[in-house]
Amino acid sequence: MVFLSLIKESVLFALQSLYANKLRTFLSLLGITIGIFAIIVVFTIVDSLEKNIRGSIESLGENVVFVMKWPWTFGPDYPWWKYMNRPNPEYNELFDLQRKSKTAEAIAYRVGGRRTVKQKGNIVENAVITGCSYEYYKIKSFDITDGRYFTENEVNAGNNVAVLGAKIAEGLFPNNQYPIGKEVKIAGKKAIVIGVFKKEGESMLGNSMDNQVVIPFHFAKYILDVRSENAEPYIAVKAKPGITNAEMKDELTGIMRGMRRLKPMVEDDFALNETNLLSKNFDMLFDIIGIAGWIIGGFSILVGGFGIANIMFVSVKERTSIIGIQKSLGAKNYFILLQFLCESVFLSLIGGIFGLLLTYLITLAARGNIDMEITLSYSNVILGLTISVLIGIISGFVPAYSASQLDPVEAIRSN
Amino acid sequence: MKAAERPKIISAICIIGYISVIFTFPTVFSPAIKKIGDLVPAIYGFIVACNFMAFIGLWHMKQWGVQLFLFTFFLKTTFFILINDLGAGTIAGIISSIIFSVILLRFYPKMDVNL
Repeated sequence: MVFLSLIKESVLFALQSLYANKLRTFLSLLGITIGIFAIIVVFTIVDSLEKNIRGSIESLGENVVFVMKWPWTFGPDYPWWKYMNRPNPEYNELFDLQRKSKTAEAIAYRVGGRRTVKQKGNIVENAVITGCSYEYYKIKSFDITDGRYFTENEVNAGNNVAVLGAKIAEGLFPNNQYPIGKEVKIAGKKAIVIGVFKKEGESMLGNSMDNQVVIPFHFAKYILDVRSENAEPYIAVKAKPGITNAEMKDELTGIMRGMRRLKPMVEDDFALNETNLLSKNFDMLFDIIGIAGWIIGGFSILVGGFGIANIMFVSVKERTSIIGIQKSLGAKNYFILLQFLCESVFLSLIGGIFGLLLTYLITLAARGNIDMEITLSYSNVILGLTISVLIGIISGFVPAYSASQLDPVEAIRSN
Repeated sequence: MKAAERPKIISAICIIGYISVIFTFPTVFSPAIKKIGDLVPAIYGFIVACNFMAFIGLWHMKQWGVQLFLFTFFLKTTFFILINDLGAGTIAGIISSIIFSVILLRFYPKMDVNL
Protein backbone atom coordinates (compact mmCIF):
# COMPACT_ATOMS: atom_id res chain seq x y z
CA MET A 1 0.00 0.00 0.00
CA VAL A 2 2.79 2.38 0.96
CA PHE A 3 4.51 1.61 -2.31
CA LEU A 4 1.34 2.23 -4.34
CA SER A 5 0.68 5.57 -2.61
CA LEU A 6 4.33 6.40 -3.25
CA ILE A 7 3.98 5.69 -6.97
CA LYS A 8 0.74 7.70 -7.08
CA GLU A 9 2.43 10.64 -5.34
CA SER A 10 5.46 10.44 -7.64
CA VAL A 11 3.30 10.35 -10.74
CA LEU A 12 1.40 13.39 -9.46
CA PHE A 13 4.68 15.22 -8.79
CA ALA A 14 5.91 14.29 -12.25
CA LEU A 15 2.69 15.51 -13.85
CA GLN A 16 2.87 18.75 -11.87
CA SER A 17 6.46 19.20 -13.01
CA LEU A 18 5.40 18.47 -16.58
CA TYR A 19 2.58 20.96 -16.34
CA ALA A 20 4.53 23.69 -14.57
CA ASN A 21 7.58 23.55 -16.87
CA LYS A 22 6.17 22.37 -20.16
CA LEU A 23 8.95 23.57 -22.42
CA ARG A 24 11.76 22.42 -20.12
CA THR A 25 10.21 18.97 -19.70
CA PHE A 26 9.43 18.71 -23.40
CA LEU A 27 13.03 19.49 -24.35
CA SER A 28 14.37 17.03 -21.78
CA LEU A 29 12.04 14.26 -22.88
CA LEU A 30 12.80 14.91 -26.54
CA GLY A 31 16.20 13.24 -26.14
CA ILE A 32 14.61 10.05 -24.82
CA THR A 33 11.86 10.20 -27.45
CA ILE A 34 14.37 10.55 -30.30
CA GLY A 35 16.64 7.87 -28.84
CA ILE A 36 13.86 5.32 -28.41
CA PHE A 37 12.46 6.25 -31.82
CA ALA A 38 15.87 5.83 -33.52
CA ILE A 39 16.58 2.47 -31.94
CA ILE A 40 13.12 0.97 -32.26
CA VAL A 41 12.52 2.23 -35.80
CA VAL A 42 15.80 0.65 -36.97
CA PHE A 43 15.04 -2.63 -35.15
CA THR A 44 11.50 -2.61 -36.60
CA ILE A 45 12.75 -2.10 -40.16
CA VAL A 46 15.50 -4.70 -39.73
CA ASP A 47 13.04 -7.23 -38.23
CA SER A 48 10.54 -6.64 -41.05
CA LEU A 49 13.21 -6.90 -43.76
CA GLU A 50 14.59 -10.02 -42.14
CA LYS A 51 11.12 -11.59 -41.92
CA ASN A 52 10.47 -10.79 -45.58
CA ILE A 53 13.83 -12.09 -46.80
CA ARG A 54 13.66 -15.21 -44.64
CA GLY A 55 10.17 -15.87 -46.03
CA SER A 56 11.54 -15.47 -49.56
CA ILE A 57 14.46 -17.81 -48.82
CA GLU A 58 12.15 -20.39 -47.22
CA SER A 59 9.88 -20.22 -50.27
CA LEU A 60 12.89 -21.38 -52.34
CA GLY A 61 12.53 -24.61 -50.44
CA GLU A 62 13.91 -26.01 -47.20
CA ASN A 63 16.43 -28.87 -47.34
CA VAL A 64 17.01 -28.03 -50.98
CA VAL A 65 20.34 -28.01 -52.80
CA PHE A 66 20.61 -26.09 -56.07
CA VAL A 67 22.95 -27.45 -58.74
CA MET A 68 24.11 -24.30 -60.53
CA LYS A 69 26.97 -22.80 -62.48
CA TRP A 70 27.72 -19.97 -60.02
CA PRO A 71 28.16 -20.43 -56.26
CA TRP A 72 26.20 -18.24 -53.83
CA THR A 73 29.24 -17.03 -51.98
CA PHE A 74 30.15 -13.40 -52.12
CA GLY A 75 33.02 -11.24 -51.04
CA PRO A 76 36.17 -9.61 -52.39
CA ASP A 77 37.91 -12.90 -53.21
CA TYR A 78 35.18 -14.26 -55.48
CA PRO A 79 37.11 -15.98 -58.34
CA TRP A 80 34.50 -15.30 -61.04
CA TRP A 81 36.93 -16.10 -63.86
CA LYS A 82 37.05 -19.72 -62.64
CA TYR A 83 33.26 -20.09 -62.77
CA MET A 84 32.69 -18.27 -66.06
CA ASN A 85 33.70 -21.17 -68.28
CA ARG A 86 31.66 -23.78 -66.43
CA PRO A 87 28.78 -25.41 -68.33
CA ASN A 88 25.18 -24.66 -67.33
CA PRO A 89 23.18 -27.50 -65.78
CA GLU A 90 21.23 -29.24 -68.54
CA TYR A 91 17.79 -30.79 -68.69
CA ASN A 92 19.26 -34.24 -69.53
CA GLU A 93 21.27 -34.20 -66.31
CA LEU A 94 17.98 -34.12 -64.41
CA PHE A 95 17.15 -37.67 -65.49
CA ASP A 96 20.58 -39.03 -64.51
CA LEU A 97 20.24 -37.41 -61.12
CA GLN A 98 16.71 -38.77 -60.68
CA ARG A 99 17.92 -42.26 -61.59
CA LYS A 100 21.06 -42.33 -59.48
CA SER A 101 20.21 -40.33 -56.36
CA LYS A 102 19.19 -42.31 -53.27
CA THR A 103 18.93 -39.31 -50.93
CA ALA A 104 16.67 -37.06 -53.03
CA GLU A 105 12.94 -36.89 -52.52
CA ALA A 106 12.29 -34.62 -55.52
CA ILE A 107 14.42 -33.18 -58.31
CA ALA A 108 13.33 -30.40 -60.67
CA TYR A 109 14.86 -28.42 -63.50
CA ARG A 110 14.06 -24.75 -63.88
CA VAL A 111 14.79 -21.99 -66.42
CA GLY A 112 13.47 -18.44 -66.46
CA GLY A 113 13.27 -15.22 -68.39
CA ARG A 114 11.16 -12.12 -68.83
CA ARG A 115 8.58 -11.85 -71.61
CA THR A 116 5.36 -9.98 -72.43
CA VAL A 117 2.08 -11.75 -71.75
CA LYS A 118 -1.14 -10.70 -73.52
CA GLN A 119 -4.79 -11.53 -73.23
CA LYS A 120 -6.93 -9.70 -75.78
CA GLY A 121 -6.31 -6.00 -75.03
CA ASN A 122 -4.61 -6.57 -71.67
CA ILE A 123 -0.84 -6.67 -71.60
CA VAL A 124 1.62 -7.48 -68.82
CA GLU A 125 5.19 -6.64 -69.70
CA ASN A 126 8.30 -8.15 -68.11
CA ALA A 127 6.45 -11.09 -66.58
CA VAL A 128 8.80 -13.76 -65.20
CA ILE A 129 8.35 -16.89 -67.32
CA THR A 130 9.38 -20.03 -65.45
CA GLY A 131 9.84 -23.22 -67.40
CA CYS A 132 10.08 -26.23 -65.13
CA SER A 133 9.98 -29.98 -64.89
CA TYR A 134 7.13 -31.78 -63.14
CA GLU A 135 8.51 -32.07 -59.57
CA TYR A 136 9.00 -28.29 -59.27
CA TYR A 137 5.85 -28.10 -57.11
CA LYS A 138 7.45 -30.45 -54.56
CA ILE A 139 10.40 -28.11 -54.13
CA LYS A 140 9.04 -24.57 -54.36
CA SER A 141 6.41 -23.81 -51.73
CA PHE A 142 3.31 -22.17 -53.24
CA ASP A 143 -0.48 -22.41 -53.07
CA ILE A 144 -2.93 -22.41 -55.95
CA THR A 145 -6.21 -20.55 -55.40
CA ASP A 146 -7.97 -21.32 -58.70
CA GLY A 147 -7.48 -24.29 -60.98
CA ARG A 148 -4.63 -26.77 -60.64
CA TYR A 149 -0.93 -27.50 -61.24
CA PHE A 150 0.30 -29.41 -64.36
CA THR A 151 -0.03 -33.15 -64.66
CA GLU A 152 3.13 -35.18 -65.37
CA ASN A 153 1.86 -35.93 -68.89
CA GLU A 154 1.33 -32.24 -69.64
CA VAL A 155 4.90 -31.48 -68.59
CA ASN A 156 6.46 -34.40 -70.49
CA ALA A 157 4.43 -33.60 -73.63
CA GLY A 158 5.23 -29.89 -73.37
CA ASN A 159 1.57 -28.88 -73.53
CA ASN A 160 0.87 -25.19 -73.89
CA VAL A 161 -0.58 -24.74 -70.40
CA ALA A 162 0.26 -22.07 -67.80
CA VAL A 163 -0.23 -21.31 -64.14
CA LEU A 164 -0.36 -17.55 -63.55
CA GLY A 165 0.85 -15.50 -60.62
CA ALA A 166 -1.80 -13.42 -58.83
CA LYS A 167 -0.56 -10.07 -60.19
CA ILE A 168 -0.30 -11.41 -63.74
CA ALA A 169 -3.83 -12.82 -63.48
CA GLU A 170 -5.12 -9.46 -62.19
CA GLY A 171 -3.40 -7.65 -65.07
CA LEU A 172 -4.65 -9.98 -67.79
CA PHE A 173 -8.10 -10.63 -66.37
CA PRO A 174 -9.28 -7.40 -64.71
CA ASN A 175 -12.65 -6.94 -63.00
CA ASN A 176 -12.55 -10.38 -61.38
CA GLN A 177 -12.82 -12.30 -64.66
CA TYR A 178 -12.34 -16.06 -64.24
CA PRO A 179 -9.07 -16.94 -66.00
CA ILE A 180 -9.18 -20.75 -65.94
CA GLY A 181 -9.54 -22.26 -69.40
CA LYS A 182 -8.88 -18.92 -71.13
CA GLU A 183 -6.15 -18.40 -73.67
CA VAL A 184 -3.18 -16.05 -73.14
CA LYS A 185 -0.24 -15.26 -75.40
CA ILE A 186 3.25 -15.57 -73.90
CA ALA A 187 5.74 -13.87 -76.24
CA GLY A 188 3.29 -14.59 -79.06
CA LYS A 189 2.75 -18.29 -78.19
CA LYS A 190 -0.73 -19.38 -77.16
CA ALA A 191 -1.18 -21.00 -73.76
CA ILE A 192 -4.22 -22.15 -71.80
CA VAL A 193 -4.49 -20.94 -68.20
CA ILE A 194 -5.00 -23.94 -65.91
CA GLY A 195 -4.30 -22.34 -62.53
CA VAL A 196 -3.63 -19.16 -60.54
CA PHE A 197 -1.21 -18.94 -57.62
CA LYS A 198 -2.27 -17.50 -54.28
CA LYS A 199 -1.14 -13.88 -53.79
CA GLU A 200 2.15 -13.77 -51.85
CA GLY A 201 3.08 -10.06 -51.77
CA GLU A 202 6.41 -8.49 -52.68
CA SER A 203 9.57 -10.46 -52.07
CA MET A 204 12.91 -8.79 -51.31
CA LEU A 205 14.67 -11.42 -53.42
CA GLY A 206 12.33 -10.80 -56.34
CA ASN A 207 11.15 -14.41 -56.38
CA SER A 208 7.49 -13.82 -55.51
CA MET A 209 5.14 -16.10 -57.45
CA ASP A 210 2.84 -13.07 -58.01
CA ASN A 211 4.80 -11.95 -61.09
CA GLN A 212 5.46 -15.40 -62.53
CA VAL A 213 3.95 -17.47 -65.29
CA VAL A 214 4.89 -21.11 -64.76
CA ILE A 215 4.87 -23.34 -67.85
CA PRO A 216 6.22 -26.84 -68.67
CA PHE A 217 9.92 -26.87 -69.63
CA HIS A 218 9.31 -28.33 -73.12
CA PHE A 219 6.83 -25.53 -73.86
CA ALA A 220 9.29 -22.96 -72.45
CA LYS A 221 11.78 -23.98 -75.15
CA TYR A 222 9.55 -22.17 -77.71
CA ILE A 223 9.46 -19.00 -75.61
CA LEU A 224 12.88 -18.74 -73.89
CA ASP A 225 16.41 -19.42 -75.03
CA VAL A 226 16.81 -22.23 -72.50
CA ARG A 227 20.46 -22.88 -73.39
CA SER A 228 21.43 -19.28 -72.70
CA GLU A 229 23.00 -18.33 -69.40
CA ASN A 230 20.38 -15.58 -69.12
CA ALA A 231 17.80 -18.31 -68.51
CA GLU A 232 19.64 -19.01 -65.21
CA PRO A 233 19.06 -22.76 -65.37
CA TYR A 234 19.35 -24.84 -62.23
CA ILE A 235 18.48 -28.26 -60.90
CA ALA A 236 16.85 -28.14 -57.46
CA VAL A 237 17.17 -31.27 -55.33
CA LYS A 238 15.11 -31.79 -52.19
CA ALA A 239 16.41 -34.21 -49.55
CA LYS A 240 14.38 -37.12 -48.21
CA PRO A 241 13.20 -36.71 -44.58
CA GLY A 242 16.06 -37.52 -42.19
CA ILE A 243 18.77 -36.84 -44.81
CA THR A 244 20.95 -33.82 -44.15
CA ASN A 245 21.98 -31.40 -46.87
CA ALA A 246 25.61 -32.38 -46.28
CA GLU A 247 24.87 -36.05 -46.95
CA MET A 248 22.91 -35.16 -50.06
CA LYS A 249 25.65 -32.80 -51.28
CA ASP A 250 28.22 -35.59 -50.98
CA GLU A 251 26.06 -37.86 -53.10
CA LEU A 252 25.24 -35.13 -55.64
CA THR A 253 28.93 -34.25 -55.98
CA GLY A 254 29.72 -37.88 -56.84
CA ILE A 255 26.87 -38.19 -59.35
CA MET A 256 27.58 -34.83 -61.02
CA ARG A 257 31.32 -35.51 -61.30
CA GLY A 258 30.55 -38.92 -62.79
CA MET A 259 28.09 -37.45 -65.29
CA ARG A 260 30.52 -34.76 -66.36
CA ARG A 261 33.43 -37.24 -66.43
CA LEU A 262 35.67 -35.14 -64.18
CA LYS A 263 39.02 -36.72 -63.28
CA PRO A 264 39.89 -37.06 -59.56
CA MET A 265 42.27 -34.11 -59.48
CA VAL A 266 40.02 -31.79 -61.48
CA GLU A 267 37.91 -29.24 -59.59
CA ASP A 268 34.10 -29.43 -59.67
CA ASP A 269 32.62 -27.55 -62.62
CA PHE A 270 29.32 -26.96 -60.85
CA ALA A 271 28.20 -25.33 -57.61
CA LEU A 272 25.96 -26.90 -54.99
CA ASN A 273 24.15 -24.00 -53.32
CA GLU A 274 22.00 -24.10 -50.22
CA THR A 275 19.46 -21.56 -48.99
CA ASN A 276 21.34 -21.28 -45.69
CA LEU A 277 24.26 -19.77 -47.65
CA LEU A 278 21.94 -16.91 -48.60
CA SER A 279 20.70 -16.66 -45.01
CA LYS A 280 24.28 -16.34 -43.74
CA ASN A 281 25.02 -13.50 -46.16
CA PHE A 282 21.87 -11.66 -45.12
CA ASP A 283 22.58 -12.29 -41.42
CA MET A 284 25.81 -10.31 -41.80
CA LEU A 285 23.97 -7.45 -43.52
CA PHE A 286 21.26 -7.32 -40.84
CA ASP A 287 23.86 -7.41 -38.08
CA ILE A 288 25.59 -4.38 -39.60
CA ILE A 289 22.32 -2.41 -39.98
CA GLY A 290 21.29 -3.39 -36.43
CA ILE A 291 24.62 -2.27 -34.99
CA ALA A 292 24.45 1.05 -36.90
CA GLY A 293 20.96 1.73 -35.49
CA TRP A 294 22.12 0.66 -32.06
CA ILE A 295 25.04 3.13 -32.10
CA ILE A 296 22.95 6.06 -33.41
CA GLY A 297 20.12 5.35 -30.96
CA GLY A 298 22.57 4.71 -28.13
CA PHE A 299 24.05 8.19 -28.41
CA SER A 300 20.59 9.80 -28.56
CA ILE A 301 19.57 7.87 -25.46
CA LEU A 302 22.76 8.88 -23.66
CA VAL A 303 21.92 12.55 -24.37
CA GLY A 304 18.33 11.90 -23.29
CA GLY A 305 19.59 10.36 -20.05
CA PHE A 306 21.58 13.51 -19.28
CA GLY A 307 18.42 15.53 -19.93
CA ILE A 308 16.44 13.45 -17.44
CA ALA A 309 19.26 13.67 -14.86
CA ASN A 310 19.33 17.45 -15.31
CA ILE A 311 15.56 17.83 -14.90
CA MET A 312 15.68 15.66 -11.76
CA PHE A 313 18.50 17.71 -10.19
CA VAL A 314 16.47 20.87 -10.85
CA SER A 315 13.39 19.16 -9.43
CA VAL A 316 15.24 18.22 -6.23
CA LYS A 317 16.59 21.77 -5.90
CA GLU A 318 13.14 23.27 -6.37
CA ARG A 319 11.53 20.95 -3.82
CA THR A 320 14.29 20.97 -1.17
CA SER A 321 12.08 22.67 1.43
CA ILE A 322 9.24 20.21 0.75
CA ILE A 323 11.71 17.34 1.22
CA GLY A 324 12.74 18.94 4.54
CA ILE A 325 9.12 19.15 5.69
CA GLN A 326 8.43 15.55 4.61
CA LYS A 327 11.49 14.31 6.50
CA SER A 328 10.68 16.33 9.61
CA LEU A 329 7.19 14.78 9.58
CA GLY A 330 8.76 11.30 9.62
CA ALA A 331 9.35 10.43 5.97
CA LYS A 332 12.12 7.83 5.71
CA ASN A 333 15.12 8.20 3.40
CA TYR A 334 13.91 5.34 1.17
CA PHE A 335 10.55 7.10 0.81
CA ILE A 336 12.18 10.26 -0.58
CA LEU A 337 14.52 8.16 -2.73
CA LEU A 338 11.69 6.12 -4.24
CA GLN A 339 9.57 9.23 -4.72
CA PHE A 340 12.16 10.90 -6.96
CA LEU A 341 13.19 7.64 -8.62
CA CYS A 342 9.55 6.87 -9.57
CA GLU A 343 9.21 10.40 -10.92
CA SER A 344 12.32 10.01 -13.06
CA VAL A 345 11.19 6.59 -14.35
CA PHE A 346 7.74 8.02 -15.09
CA LEU A 347 9.19 10.96 -17.04
CA SER A 348 11.49 8.68 -18.98
CA LEU A 349 8.60 6.30 -19.71
CA ILE A 350 6.57 9.18 -21.15
CA GLY A 351 9.49 9.97 -23.47
CA GLY A 352 9.79 6.31 -24.43
CA ILE A 353 6.05 5.97 -25.08
CA PHE A 354 6.17 9.02 -27.37
CA GLY A 355 9.11 7.41 -29.19
CA LEU A 356 7.15 4.17 -29.61
CA LEU A 357 4.09 6.12 -30.80
CA LEU A 358 6.22 7.87 -33.41
CA THR A 359 7.56 4.50 -34.55
CA TYR A 360 4.02 3.14 -34.75
CA LEU A 361 2.96 6.13 -36.87
CA ILE A 362 5.90 5.52 -39.20
CA THR A 363 4.87 1.87 -39.62
CA LEU A 364 1.28 2.98 -40.36
CA ALA A 365 2.50 5.49 -42.94
CA ALA A 366 4.78 2.87 -44.51
CA ARG A 367 1.95 0.34 -44.75
CA GLY A 368 0.17 2.41 -47.38
CA ASN A 369 3.27 3.34 -49.37
CA ILE A 370 5.60 0.35 -49.29
CA ASP A 371 4.68 -3.04 -50.69
CA MET A 372 6.18 -4.76 -47.67
CA GLU A 373 4.72 -5.40 -44.25
CA ILE A 374 6.45 -3.31 -41.57
CA THR A 375 5.16 -4.06 -38.09
CA LEU A 376 6.13 -2.80 -34.67
CA SER A 377 6.63 -6.10 -32.90
CA TYR A 378 5.77 -6.93 -29.31
CA SER A 379 9.44 -7.62 -28.55
CA ASN A 380 10.45 -4.16 -29.81
CA VAL A 381 7.75 -2.50 -27.67
CA ILE A 382 9.11 -4.36 -24.61
CA LEU A 383 12.64 -3.31 -25.56
CA GLY A 384 11.60 0.36 -25.92
CA LEU A 385 9.87 0.36 -22.54
CA THR A 386 12.80 -1.46 -20.92
CA ILE A 387 15.30 1.10 -22.19
CA SER A 388 13.06 3.95 -20.99
CA VAL A 389 12.75 2.49 -17.48
CA LEU A 390 16.46 1.76 -17.38
CA ILE A 391 17.36 5.31 -18.41
CA GLY A 392 14.92 6.62 -15.81
CA ILE A 393 16.58 4.56 -13.07
CA ILE A 394 20.17 5.30 -14.05
CA SER A 395 19.74 9.02 -14.65
CA GLY A 396 17.35 9.56 -11.73
CA PHE A 397 19.13 7.57 -9.05
CA VAL A 398 21.87 10.10 -8.23
CA PRO A 399 19.47 13.09 -7.83
CA ALA A 400 17.01 10.89 -5.91
CA TYR A 401 19.74 9.61 -3.61
CA SER A 402 21.07 13.11 -2.96
CA ALA A 403 17.50 14.21 -2.10
CA SER A 404 17.13 11.30 0.32
CA GLN A 405 20.36 12.25 2.12
CA LEU A 406 19.32 15.86 2.78
CA ASP A 407 19.34 17.03 6.37
CA PRO A 408 15.72 18.04 7.24
CA VAL A 409 16.72 21.22 9.10
CA GLU A 410 19.06 22.38 6.33
CA ALA A 411 16.47 21.45 3.73
CA ILE A 412 13.66 23.48 5.37
CA ARG A 413 16.01 26.46 5.73
CA SER A 414 17.03 26.33 2.10
CA ASN A 415 14.35 28.80 1.00
CA MET B 1 27.08 4.00 12.62
CA LYS B 2 28.62 6.83 10.62
CA ALA B 3 30.60 5.83 7.52
CA ALA B 4 34.37 6.15 7.55
CA GLU B 5 36.16 8.25 4.96
CA ARG B 6 36.22 6.52 1.59
CA PRO B 7 39.51 4.69 1.01
CA LYS B 8 41.28 5.30 -2.29
CA ILE B 9 40.92 1.67 -3.33
CA ILE B 10 37.10 1.94 -3.08
CA SER B 11 37.17 5.21 -5.05
CA ALA B 12 39.16 3.37 -7.73
CA ILE B 13 36.68 0.45 -7.72
CA CYS B 14 33.77 2.89 -8.06
CA ILE B 15 35.39 4.76 -10.97
CA ILE B 16 36.13 1.45 -12.75
CA GLY B 17 32.52 0.47 -11.99
CA TYR B 18 31.04 3.67 -13.44
CA ILE B 19 33.13 3.26 -16.59
CA SER B 20 32.09 -0.38 -16.93
CA VAL B 21 28.42 0.61 -16.51
CA ILE B 22 28.80 3.23 -19.27
CA PHE B 23 30.21 0.55 -21.58
CA THR B 24 27.78 -2.15 -20.45
CA PHE B 25 24.65 0.00 -20.73
CA PRO B 26 24.51 0.06 -24.58
CA THR B 27 24.86 -3.73 -24.68
CA VAL B 28 21.44 -3.99 -22.97
CA PHE B 29 19.75 -3.09 -26.22
CA SER B 30 22.37 -4.56 -28.54
CA PRO B 31 21.12 -6.84 -31.35
CA ALA B 32 23.08 -9.76 -29.83
CA ILE B 33 21.22 -9.58 -26.49
CA LYS B 34 17.88 -8.91 -28.22
CA LYS B 35 18.30 -12.08 -30.30
CA ILE B 36 18.43 -14.28 -27.18
CA GLY B 37 14.87 -13.52 -26.14
CA ASP B 38 12.17 -10.86 -25.75
CA LEU B 39 12.65 -10.43 -21.99
CA VAL B 40 16.43 -10.83 -21.92
CA PRO B 41 17.18 -7.08 -22.43
CA ALA B 42 14.81 -6.29 -19.54
CA ILE B 43 16.53 -8.79 -17.22
CA TYR B 44 20.00 -7.68 -18.26
CA GLY B 45 18.93 -4.02 -17.94
CA PHE B 46 17.77 -4.69 -14.37
CA ILE B 47 21.19 -6.20 -13.54
CA VAL B 48 23.03 -3.21 -15.07
CA ALA B 49 20.82 -0.73 -13.19
CA CYS B 50 21.41 -2.58 -9.88
CA ASN B 51 25.14 -2.62 -10.60
CA PHE B 52 25.10 1.15 -11.13
CA MET B 53 23.17 1.73 -7.89
CA ALA B 54 25.64 -0.52 -6.04
CA PHE B 55 28.55 1.72 -7.12
CA ILE B 56 26.66 4.84 -5.95
CA GLY B 57 26.21 3.12 -2.58
CA LEU B 58 29.89 2.19 -2.45
CA TRP B 59 30.88 5.76 -3.31
CA HIS B 60 28.94 6.91 -0.23
CA MET B 61 30.49 4.06 1.85
CA LYS B 62 27.15 2.36 2.49
CA GLN B 63 26.82 -1.28 3.47
CA TRP B 64 23.86 -1.70 1.15
CA GLY B 65 26.25 -0.86 -1.69
CA VAL B 66 28.34 -3.95 -0.90
CA GLN B 67 25.22 -6.09 -0.47
CA LEU B 68 23.82 -4.88 -3.80
CA PHE B 69 27.22 -5.39 -5.46
CA LEU B 70 27.36 -9.03 -4.30
CA PHE B 71 23.73 -9.55 -5.33
CA THR B 72 24.36 -8.19 -8.84
CA PHE B 73 27.56 -10.20 -9.11
CA PHE B 74 25.59 -13.36 -8.35
CA LEU B 75 22.80 -12.34 -10.79
CA LYS B 76 25.25 -11.39 -13.55
CA THR B 77 27.21 -14.63 -13.26
CA THR B 78 24.00 -16.71 -13.31
CA PHE B 79 22.77 -14.71 -16.31
CA PHE B 80 25.98 -15.27 -18.30
CA ILE B 81 25.98 -18.98 -17.45
CA LEU B 82 22.33 -19.27 -18.54
CA ILE B 83 22.93 -17.55 -21.88
CA ASN B 84 26.15 -19.58 -22.25
CA ASP B 85 28.33 -16.49 -22.70
CA LEU B 86 31.51 -17.50 -20.93
CA GLY B 87 34.08 -15.84 -23.17
CA ALA B 88 37.34 -14.25 -22.10
CA GLY B 89 35.62 -10.90 -21.34
CA THR B 90 33.05 -12.52 -19.07
CA ILE B 91 35.68 -14.56 -17.22
CA ALA B 92 37.81 -11.41 -16.74
CA GLY B 93 34.71 -9.61 -15.40
CA ILE B 94 33.98 -12.45 -12.95
CA ILE B 95 37.58 -12.54 -11.71
CA SER B 96 37.70 -8.76 -11.23
CA SER B 97 34.33 -8.87 -9.41
CA ILE B 98 35.67 -11.55 -7.04
CA ILE B 99 38.73 -9.39 -6.29
CA PHE B 100 36.50 -6.31 -5.75
CA SER B 101 34.22 -8.34 -3.47
CA VAL B 102 37.14 -9.42 -1.26
CA ILE B 103 38.34 -5.80 -0.97
CA LEU B 104 34.83 -4.49 -0.27
CA LEU B 105 34.17 -7.13 2.37
CA ARG B 106 37.37 -6.05 4.15
CA PHE B 107 35.96 -2.52 4.48
CA TYR B 108 32.37 -3.67 5.08
CA PRO B 109 32.40 -3.23 8.93
CA LYS B 110 33.60 0.38 8.55
CA MET B 111 30.71 1.31 6.27
CA ASP B 112 27.44 3.06 7.17
CA VAL B 113 24.51 0.71 7.85
CA ASN B 114 21.85 3.31 6.93
CA LEU B 115 20.44 4.12 3.51
